[in-house]
Amino acid sequence: MLILSRKSGESIVIDGRIHVKVVRVEGDVVKVGIDAPSDVPVHRQEVYDEIQCSNQQALTRQSTPLPKLVGSA
Amino acid sequence: MNCAETIEPPIDMNCAEPAVMKTPALLPNNQIRLPMGLLGFEQIKDYVLLANPAEEPFAWLKVQSNAALAFVVIDPFIVLPNYQPDIPDADAAFLGLKQPDDALLLNIVTVHGPHRATVNLKGPIVINRITHVGKQVIIANANDYSVQHPLPVNESVV
Repeated sequence: MLILSRKSGESIVIDGRIHVKVVRVEGDVVKVGIDAPSDVPVHRQEVYDEIQCSNQQALTRQSTPLPKLVGSA
Repeated sequence: MNCAETIEPPIDMNCAEPAVMKTPALLPNNQIRLPMGLLGFEQIKDYVLLANPAEEPFAWLKVQSNAALAFVVIDPFIVLPNYQPDIPDADAAFLGLKQPDDALLLNIVTVHGPHRATVNLKGPIVINRITHVGKQVIIANANDYSVQHPLPVNESVV
């Protein structure tokens, strides 16, 4: 992993089109600003991981009987 | 579903989609392209949306290249009329959504067994009804919702 030291207000450019800026450092919290084209997905790692894990659990590999919901016929 | 192979099927009642869903959940021709795939399945981009009236309000999002692989999906507003997903502007722009009615939302259901199912409310699949292009969007208010929201399963029916 490439490790760079940055001060508040300094940036990193990735691939000429993704700009990552350290906006503020408060104690152990770093506020990061990201400018990226709309086709570049940017996510907080933990939400991304949670949804990815949920998708993997949800994948069915054969026809699965579905439960009946309350109120449906 | 041979008619699904025709890109623009002629109007033919024999070829009509099964009379499905109380809600306007299905798309004409049912093909859906997710250019970014689903999270964790980025390489799978082409899907077919199918519904069987007996299984309402669930529908199936089947992998086009392998029909054995599928996700169970649901129109979230059927189970949560107050669901208010905040779709980031960048995602709406990516999908070319100009007004809320252009979007079809489908949320992925995990079937844990005959008596337990949950729905992912943090990452709805948002589909442009006109282009049939969709994306699994991480909503801006994901912290307000669960990735495993329990569905009200009828315990008396197996």
